[in-house]
Amino acid sequence: MSTSTSALRKTVAVMFGGRSLEHDVSVVSGLQILHALDPERFAPMPIYIDQQTRWWVGDDIWHNDTFKGGGPDRSRLIEVSLSPGFGTSRLVPVDSAAALPGAASRVTGVLKAGGGSIPVDAFVPVLHGTYGEDGCVQGALELGGCAYVGCGVMASAVGMNKRATKIMAAHAGVPIVRWLACERSVLDRGHGWLTDLPARVAESFGWPVIVKPCNLGSSAGVSVAANADELVSGVLKVFEYDVEALIEPFIKNRLEINVAVAGLDEPVASVTEMPLTSQASPLTFAEKYRRQGRKSIGSSEGMAGALRVLDPQDLSAEMRANAQRYATTVFSALGCEGISRIDFLIDADTNELFFNEINTLPGSLAFYLWSAAPHYWTITDLLSRLVDRAERLRAMKRGLQRKPPAELTLLR
Amino acid sequence: MTEFWPWVPILTAAFTWLTWKRLLAYLRYFQQEGYEHLRFLKWVGVRSLTDPAFWVSVVSAFLFMLDPLLAVVVFTVGAIVLGLVQPDPRRSGKIVLRLTWRARRVLTVSMIVALAAFVGLMRMYVDTDVRAPLMAASFMFALLPFAVVLANAVLAPYERQTQRAYYAEAVDQLARVHPFVIGITGSYGKSSSKAMLAHMLQFHAPTLAASGSINTVMGVTRHIREDLVPGHKFMVVEMGAYAVGSIKRLCALTPPSAALITAVGDMHLERFGSTEAIFHAKSELAQALPPGGVLVCNADSPNALRIAKQSTHSRVFLYGEHHSGALDTRVEKIRFTKQGTHFVLQTADRAYTCFTPLLGRPIILNLAGAFTLATAVGVDPEVAVASFRTLKPVSNRLEVVEDAGVTWIRDAYNSNQYGFRAALEVASDLPATRRFLATPGVIELGREQHDVNRALSREAAMACDQTVVVSETNRAAFVEGHQEAGRPERLVAVANRTEAFRWLHEHLHDGDVVILENDLPDLYERSAGVYWPARQGGKSS
Repeated sequence: MSTSTSALRKTVAVMFGGRSLEHDVSVVSGLQILHALDPERFAPMPIYIDQQTRWWVGDDIWHNDTFKGGGPDRSRLIEVSLSPGFGTSRLVPVDSAAALPGAASRVTGVLKAGGGSIPVDAFVPVLHGTYGEDGCVQGALELGGCAYVGCGVMASAVGMNKRATKIMAAHAGVPIVRWLACERSVLDRGHGWLTDLPARVAESFGWPVIVKPCNLGSSAGVSVAANADELVSGVLKVFEYDVEALIEPFIKNRLEINVAVAGLDEPVASVTEMPLTSQASPLTFAEKYRRQGRKSIGSSEGMAGALRVLDPQDLSAEMRANAQRYATTVFSALGCEGISRIDFLIDADTNELFFNEINTLPGSLAFYLWSAAPHYWTITDLLSRLVDRAERLRAMKRGLQRKPPAELTLLR
Repeated sequence: MTEFWPWVPILTAAFTWLTWKRLLAYLRYFQQEGYEHLRFLKWVGVRSLTDPAFWVSVVSAFLFMLDPLLAVVVFTVGAIVLGLVQPDPRRSGKIVLRLTWRARRVLTVSMIVALAAFVGLMRMYVDTDVRAPLMAASFMFALLPFAVVLANAVLAPYERQTQRAYYAEAVDQLARVHPFVIGITGSYGKSSSKAMLAHMLQFHAPTLAASGSINTVMGVTRHIREDLVPGHKFMVVEMGAYAVGSIKRLCALTPPSAALITAVGDMHLERFGSTEAIFHAKSELAQALPPGGVLVCNADSPNALRIAKQSTHSRVFLYGEHHSGALDTRVEKIRFTKQGTHFVLQTADRAYTCFTPLLGRPIILNLAGAFTLATAVGVDPEVAVASFRTLKPVSNRLEVVEDAGVTWIRDAYNSNQYGFRAALEVASDLPATRRFLATPGVIELGREQHDVNRALSREAAMACDQTVVVSETNRAAFVEGHQEAGRPERLVAVANRTEAFRWLHEHLHDGDVVILENDLPDLYERSAGVYWPARQGGKSS
């Protein structure tokens, strides 16, 4: 069926980089996915989004090395933007005059063939954190009427906000850890909060507590506080990066388990995994992404670089099954698509399982979880299925009735 | 005659290859010296005559008399090998060459200058045989630093023009955003004060402060163009005084509404000539303040206090620890632990009990200065004090790292005698089985350098069980200091950093505290040549 001539292959644009703390992680994941796309079916097209959220295409951005030091040499790339015309699904050079001349390259070839722009069949956003995983980029893709892999605007936005996710999960009947929120605007109201907040926390939870940013992915800004001073420090640390801090009781004897869910015709849960550092303290950013001894980002694999046990047998089958069930419940409640990783906490003293957070665009799409039985999918298989589904979803949305009913037709 | 032309392309290619590598090496030092011709040439001295590239050329030029073919082979193979063994200055060394657009321009023009001169010299040479290119190569390798300087001089008008355009853009952007500018100067403590002040201000209003040590007009210009965006309410600018007038020029670009003067001492005396000149250079910041502007000065520094007293049109705030007069913020009860420093800030109306993970008496004093300024421009003092706990130690600025039972006090970044003493003091407060110090001493102190290092060595001899003095720069002063303290056995001299670490790793045990004090920039490590990594340098004495 596939004659695999380049004209018949679909252009799949993989977007990575972005304006978040996790820029580098995204580059690593993005390049992995770029190289994992089925070359018989797809013509991959990397799109690098820089820290200023400018979009770039070019032949240089296929490999890690380009991104070391100050980032890729922009003079060798072409800046593009997404054409906002609904359904055009095209990348247009920002400066059409400057784009076409220059050395013959793969990208200029594609541009010429496309009549000055690049038609894209499907997008794979691999952008972690703010301005990427939070619905911003998904919104732009919706405007362009594009097919894209992963969560839509609502699920992305809710998944990025830990408070909103907790409310949704609790509503769907999934157990959560209680929390208190502290908004950054307390800083505009003097110093009363320096004593009020610790008092409120002591009364609600006692010590220790865990302090985390409401809107950041990874483990950036997460700390454990054992007293009022450490709580205030933790909250101030969060306020360097985020507008809201969440405070939860710290489960002393805790285990973490994660489950990935793939949104195919039905949400399908992967096996569970247990990150090995979970017992002591939450993963720091460095532990998560730059384990000691792994010097180059090229050799790291985002979350895949951490140590873990797949399908841990020392947990009861019931616990693992519950985690999988809760994971698909949260996935459906939020209206997720693509692949999400849902993280749980286990209180080892009480054997209780709690939903912790959702990662709507996990590093490397959590491929390591899919390479284990029972769903043995290679990342390539999985990507093909997800791209197909993204195209079906777009077709479904496009097929919706667009003719306004009579009462809304005013100008005729 | 007949042997001339076939060999010229080969010799020229070999020459081009090695010249390219050597230019990269020279450019790294030229960049470190801020593209200043005199400072660069002073560093170069007769270095190019010790370059193996020069000697390979000279030897092959003489070998020519024995056998022209041998000469060609020696030169070509020599050039290829020397080029290959040279470490890449873009990656190796403590301060690497950054290939900015300017560096690329200088590199390209230097290459053209060198090749043109090579061809010119070859043609001037009367015998048209292979000796001509070999002689030309000898001359060129000796004169290569001048090619770099000449290239830079040729590019100067272009660089000035670009810089003027950037400057105008920065002025426009500043006028649009209109942040409240706070200038910081001082002989030391600028960068850390800037970081601490910005840290406190960020919880009050959006604040811009460069993360590194940006303190020149071109640096600040670039910083404004790239990072200042509408919404920034504060901008903290570090103002470096390299000569009388340099702060004045910075204040013309970023007119300050408030100023912090951390200390006025003898740093960079070599550049200024006199302490009085340093005083005048630093006063320029106070003079640039508008009437009613906030001026915060360190009262423990006599010259900073003098600036405060001379300022009649500003609202002056003083901070300090030892000053006997009235202070707006006084530091008291400093106590160092491995986790950080406990201290008290006494203001006019109350005392704040504080803790910060940072270490060192000067750092705490800087923190008091930043606190005084922050509260003077509206930051809630209690929130400021709470934020002390979340300050992160700057890498290599009295940073405590524990590794396999040994406590390392890393203080490698641009040390001076005050920072040096602060590190000794912190080490003395920490529990330790034995205390070690590894340092090359302090530099850029002109005629006083020897005496200052001798005094530091005396103090180190009392505070530390063993001192490792690195490189030859201050070795004599350290030997004298330890002898004066009556403890010459406590001193070990090594040639370079690598040997210092090797020595330390052989001698350290559980429970030891090690101070790594001041890392000389590459240009001062005499044992490390232009081309060779430090470990292949001189021998330990």
